[in-house]
Amino acid sequence: MRLLSRNAEALFWLARYLERGASLARVIEMQSSFGAHDQEQGWSWLLALHSDEERFKERFEVSSRNIATFYVTDLSNPGSVRSSIHWARENARALRPFIPIEMWVQLNAFHGSVEALAADDISLSQLPRTCAVIRAGCLAQIGIAEGTLFRDEGYQFFKLGLLVERADQTSRLLDVKYAHAMTNSKTRDLSDDFVFWSTILRTAAAYQVFHRLEAKGADLERVSRFLIFNPSHPRSLGFCVREISESLHTLRHSFRLSRANKCLEECEVMMEGLHDMGRNTELAAHLHEFNNWVQTSLGTLTDTLSSAFFTRSRPGALEAEAAQSQSQSQGQTQTQTQSQSSVPAPGLQKQDQNQS
Amino acid sequence: MAKISALKQPNTFCALDGYDPGKFYCELLGDSNQPDATIAPLWQCLETSELSILKQRASDAERELFNLGITFTVYTEKDAIDRILPFDVIPRVISASVWAKVEAGVKQRVKALNLFLHDIYHERHILNDGIVPAQLVLSNSCYRPEMIGLDLPCGTYIHINGTDIVRDRQGEMLVLEDNGRSPSGVSYVVENRHLMQRAFPDLMQGMNIRPVSDYGKRLLGKLREVAPTGVDDPCVVLLSPGIYNSAYFEHVFLAREMGVTLVEGGDLFVENDRVFAHTINGLVQVDVVYRRINDDYLDPTAFNPTSMLGVPGLLRAVQRGRVTLANAIGTGVADDKAIYAYVPRIIRYYLNEDPILASVETHICGEPGGLAHTLANLDRLVLKPVGESGGYGIVIGPKSSKSELEDAAAKLRADPGNFISQPMIELSVSPTLVEQGARARHVDLRPYAITGRDTWVLPGGLTRVALKEGSLIVNSSQGGGTKDTWVLAGDQ
Repeated sequence: MRLLSRNAEALFWLARYLERGASLARVIEMQSSFGAHDQEQGWSWLLALHSDEERFKERFEVSSRNIATFYVTDLSNPGSVRSSIHWARENARALRPFIPIEMWVQLNAFHGSVEALAADDISLSQLPRTCAVIRAGCLAQIGIAEGTLFRDEGYQFFKLGLLVERADQTSRLLDVKYAHAMTNSKTRDLSDDFVFWSTILRTAAAYQVFHRLEAKGADLERVSRFLIFNPSHPRSLGFCVREISESLHTLRHSFRLSRANKCLEECEVMMEGLHDMGRNTELAAHLHEFNNWVQTSLGTLTDTLSSAFFTRSRPGALEAEAAQSQSQSQGQTQTQTQSQSSVPAPGLQKQDQNQS
Repeated sequence: MAKISALKQPNTFCALDGYDPGKFYCELLGDSNQPDATIAPLWQCLETSELSILKQRASDAERELFNLGITFTVYTEKDAIDRILPFDVIPRVISASVWAKVEAGVKQRVKALNLFLHDIYHERHILNDGIVPAQLVLSNSCYRPEMIGLDLPCGTYIHINGTDIVRDRQGEMLVLEDNGRSPSGVSYVVENRHLMQRAFPDLMQGMNIRPVSDYGKRLLGKLREVAPTGVDDPCVVLLSPGIYNSAYFEHVFLAREMGVTLVEGGDLFVENDRVFAHTINGLVQVDVVYRRINDDYLDPTAFNPTSMLGVPGLLRAVQRGRVTLANAIGTGVADDKAIYAYVPRIIRYYLNEDPILASVETHICGEPGGLAHTLANLDRLVLKPVGESGGYGIVIGPKSSKSELEDAAAKLRADPGNFISQPMIELSVSPTLVEQGARARHVDLRPYAITGRDTWVLPGGLTRVALKEGSLIVNSSQGGGTKDTWVLAGDQ
């Protein structure tokens, strides 16, 4: 039988949660290793990165310790590392008949170790090490998938989840750091600038390669161009969007899924938008606007994927017979809402809405 | 007791030191109460295993089960906790000749129960002939009038059956219960064996054990046999209540071993009385559904209307013969504790044979004689509610206090039809690794039989062990564990 819609959705979200967990762990690892001299105030940008200021301030005082707790171990925060890994595991659990046992065993044991994190593990001195372990755990799962997951349609949905999430994270990082750079540009000196840009590059796993390629060093223009357009850096927007397009083409042509057409259209709009932005000589001036557009486009792409492949409501599911089944579609839609809530995707919808 | 003392290392405490089955039948030592040639390699290995090392290996093995996710889920008010079924490293061994009898007895029973189900949903000969009281069947809550007159492929209602068997003090195998609805536990049979092979290959050396790992492929074969007429290459799926069901691991295991898709109710859709699954490329028709959802929850339009787990319209698809459910709807009436007492008569009626496996003497409290006998002997009997499963609600007379017995008698008088009683069986024991070493603990056996055109019995089965000293209740929900079950190959 071909891939169940429910399994396609779970593969997409499994990958998104893993990528999100790895990304967030890297952000906190870099912040606690390289940004600590900024002290309390320096941690607030994490709240901006995920548009969480209001939600956070309802419950906590702003302090580095509280922010770290909120993003690492707080299960009531759907955007925390622990929540991401929890939901990755719930999706993997639904996928157990489908994914290789090796994937489940690693994620299950890794989830156990995250659940066992104690207050000491997220003290500011232990935080970099803890986050490094978490990042490695998420990446190990992605690596096991790379090495063992059968390359059928399901793999493409996994890959799409990784890429969409990664593009989203890179875009958010650029946007927030851009705002930060703008507000502080007059008070900073050059050495501060070097630390600032280095931290951003490290957060995007791009520090080494950037300095290998860019003899002139880091500034807003060069860092932005690198993270948006570099065709070979796996976390750049250009790279992610190109790979998304490839995955969609594979679904369309190798697996003959005509439902991929609409998603391909969305993807082409994004590629054109990136291309236009590449020719824009005043990139920095349009950066915020551009990032908003990127995040909205990724949201639209996800919605399109969802209605093309994941939806289990009756209309459109079997085009040839759609007309005669109007009366029955109602009951089914209800079932769908209920069953989808068993593997929910908390946080993301909320974040996307806030951004757009 | 015989010991191969020459092999025993001095100054170490070995696993079997101090093992004593007492007055009970020992599964490992058998009739002679001595280790015979068929189990000699295992016995020697246990005799020479240092207890502390064996215990360490056992706890490593249990951790592995946890990491592999071979778990069931326990729900408290706040959390869902994954637990392993405690695993005992000392296997239960069944000789080729004993197994031959079990296998033949299980096949006979399943055959008779399928004929019984066909009959009560068609001509009702057995009721009209007065062999089984009609009221007991027709007013049973598990009897489904929706099934009346339906002809099922191969006449099979119970495709997957688990027969609970105990052994008394004399070593006689007795059927305690049939499970013909949705018996669980078979995944542990296979996974226990795999664990044994990975973690204790030394215990298996020299033992001629029949394999169990082809269960999934065999099951798929049987399910394909019962596809609706005219379907040559049926699409088989496994219908699970989903990840929050406590037996979800087993559903995963079965889907994986059969190589079929695990679906939830929301993945299926009925249209024009045909069943479809939602895939990324549209709807795919489904022909056979191995369902692990109870009758009540299968179809909200036909049964429990609040069910979120089922598929609206599924019953009509079954009635139109467009899809086969395994097990069929309405099999619960055959494994009911009240019908159980009549199974020997059911076997004679349809097959004209004596039962190969004996049953436990059963008093039906709904009958005046049965009630009187039960009330008079409550302190010596085991009282069981007929509708419950999982060992709940059982009162073991000899182990109950006076007030507990009075309580039970009151409940019994209030609703006699809800109870049966049986003499207390002194269940056989098997050496089981506990803190002090190998000690005698009571066990039962659940062999699995799968039926399409005919029946195949998995050469093995689930051995459940009551880990608490003296306890007779082996259910996992009541502190039971499991053992690997070794059916030995014969000489032929």
